[in-house]
Amino acid sequence: MKTEIRNNLTRWLTLLALLVFFVVAARGMETQDWVITLLRGLSVGSVTFLVASGFSLIFGLLDVLNMAHGTMFMIGAYLAWTVYVRPDTFVDLLTPILLLLSGFTLSGVWNKLARNLPRKAGWPKILGWVGLVAAAVVLVAVLIRYPITIWDAGNYSQSPVTYSYLANQGLINLPPGLPFAEISPLVAVVGLLLASLVGSFSLSLISPRSQAVLALGWKNFLPFFFLVLFGLAALVFNDGLTAFLTGLDTTWLFLISLAVGVLVGVLLGSVMEATLIRPLYDRPIYQLMLTLGLSAIGIEVVRTIWGRPEFVMPKPSLFAGTGEGCPATSLADLLANQCSTIWLFEGRIRVYNEIFIPLVGIVVLIVIWILLQRSRLGMIIRAGVQDREMVEALGINVQQVFNTVFALGVGLAVLGGGLAAPSMGLSNMMGETLILNALIALAIGGLTNFPGAALGSLLVGLLQQVIIKYGAIGIPIPFSEAVFKPTPPLVPASTVLLMVFVLLILPNGLLGRKE
Amino acid sequence: MSSILDVQDIHTFIGQYHILQGVSVEVQEGSITALLGRNGAGKTTTLKSIIGLTPPVKGKVVYQGQEIQDMHSFDIASRGIGYVPEHRAIFRDLSVEENLWIAEREKGDFDRKQEIIFSLFPDLKRLIHLSGANLSGGQQQMLAIARALVPDNSLLLIDEPSEGLAPVLIENMIEAIRRLSSESTIVLVEQNFLVASQLADYYVIIEEGRSVKGGRMRDLVEDSETIRRYLGAA
Repeated sequence: MKTEIRNNLTRWLTLLALLVFFVVAARGMETQDWVITLLRGLSVGSVTFLVASGFSLIFGLLDVLNMAHGTMFMIGAYLAWTVYVRPDTFVDLLTPILLLLSGFTLSGVWNKLARNLPRKAGWPKILGWVGLVAAAVVLVAVLIRYPITIWDAGNYSQSPVTYSYLANQGLINLPPGLPFAEISPLVAVVGLLLASLVGSFSLSLISPRSQAVLALGWKNFLPFFFLVLFGLAALVFNDGLTAFLTGLDTTWLFLISLAVGVLVGVLLGSVMEATLIRPLYDRPIYQLMLTLGLSAIGIEVVRTIWGRPEFVMPKPSLFAGTGEGCPATSLADLLANQCSTIWLFEGRIRVYNEIFIPLVGIVVLIVIWILLQRSRLGMIIRAGVQDREMVEALGINVQQVFNTVFALGVGLAVLGGGLAAPSMGLSNMMGETLILNALIALAIGGLTNFPGAALGSLLVGLLQQVIIKYGAIGIPIPFSEAVFKPTPPLVPASTVLLMVFVLLILPNGLLGRKE
Repeated sequence: MSSILDVQDIHTFIGQYHILQGVSVEVQEGSITALLGRNGAGKTTTLKSIIGLTPPVKGKVVYQGQEIQDMHSFDIASRGIGYVPEHRAIFRDLSVEENLWIAEREKGDFDRKQEIIFSLFPDLKRLIHLSGANLSGGQQQMLAIARALVPDNSLLLIDEPSEGLAPVLIENMIEAIRRLSSESTIVLVEQNFLVASQLADYYVIIEEGRSVKGGRMRDLVEDSETIRRYLGAA
């Protein structure tokens, strides 16, 4: 009891010291300077939080250090950019992806089939692997002949910079859709469906679920038919759909691209957990190597398709107005003219970067908090972080919860990437910087503590922005005329210093508890 | 009477250690069976092997006529086996209510069972919104058992229910377990022979990972030679 009080006292004193530090830092600035520094800190903190919270959820429940989390963030940015600036590519890809997914919605049917096979001498397993390889061969054979602009890497990877620039000027003019030349559409569709059906059935042969199989009805086939239907529709109305997306107001298109990004991210996370992470739960070092490797692969894939140069995603129209009445001086003004900037406390604030992103960050924080505290899934997650075995022994399929949490975590990182694309711009290495920030934020806040992730991210964001600001205005040195201007390398260094400071006093982070 | 659970010569490894080297336990439906033996004999591992947390590499576990030794833990549990681990493994970050709610196997289980649970453990009702970390040892033990009662379980595996409890609380615990046994079959691991002898109908003695002796509890109580040999002091 006594040590508990002392620990909490240390915690409060540390928090107080940090608060005093930031107040003193703010008092050294003009009002407009500290307002903008605060908002920028919130913005950086929000993006960091989106990555850190997913990372911490995954680590807390699954004990997996997902070093590819930063890469997922980066991929999220490129995904959002692609849907936003090159909807034609997105529409082209829609058909193969939907058709490929369709088979996997039949897992209930496959499980029932797999259970009815005689399970002797492991031959269903061998058959499963053969089927999986066959499906992969068919898939590759179809995909390399399928007309998607992205395949033309030489051409495509040169174009993002140009297209981004054109889109920003409102001059976007997408190239005409590629025709089916090397493969007939019918063969392509049949091939994709075949690969999907064989592949998904083979997977359930390899790892059959032992859960009781419910009675099958027509409802089990409904998602399958819908996916196939949508896939075919996307094929038939390819040009129309592209035209529709390009014709949309960019705010709507931006929301769609975020949603698509998150969906793809969730899917990617789910597949990653089920296929790559799951066999390695007992081997932490291998997990680390695997996720590091995935991260490197992800970076190279993005480099190959979208190229090395950095480019910026144009802001959606709601945050891009620069015409009459801008910068806005009041909220009503802002909404009426959709200005990109607003005057606040005599400082010019960028609406997207410094208001919209923090708002999204706060909304996500609240949504996840409610999910964790009020839902059954959240309860299972909180219980599982403490004692996985016991949760399983209560009859809860923890494996499924793991998959959901991993998918959710990756989805959050992808959302972060999509959000950051219009403000930070896109580069191959954007994930690496961010994952470092996120790890530092987690160490500061407490590794598996959700409010800790938020607090740590906020502190990291604020500290960086304070240092950057003082780099511009300088810190007066007492008893001398000179001012000290922190140099840019001090920005990342300062967060590491903060981490060292916090960990020396509270080894489990500000809000973390002793394991 | 028929057997609800039949553990047949199971061998279990933890890491590279061969912990169970042939344990057989037959449990009659409706009875209380106590697993006895010294510290480290393999009693807890036997329970964990039944529920699938440390699956046996050899041997069979037959529950209600079905072999369950290769199934996942959650699958075994959802067939109606409740597990109360030692050291009161309740969820500290969850409230008492959540600790019970999480054990629901079907929606509404908790609401249906509330009355029975709170009549067995009236303290819990008062503490319903407290977090698990703030409960006393005895209350945590009550909660751990109450949690196993939320779904309809036909078999309860209870590990060391009296461990670290004050004598008064042990009396309550014995009473509670007795009342439970009218609803379901119980397998009990108990270090305290006095408690075990009051509760159990049958016993199995486990010694260095092997089941060495079993039978009716009332016969064992009179067999001071066996008690001295396998359980130390009487």
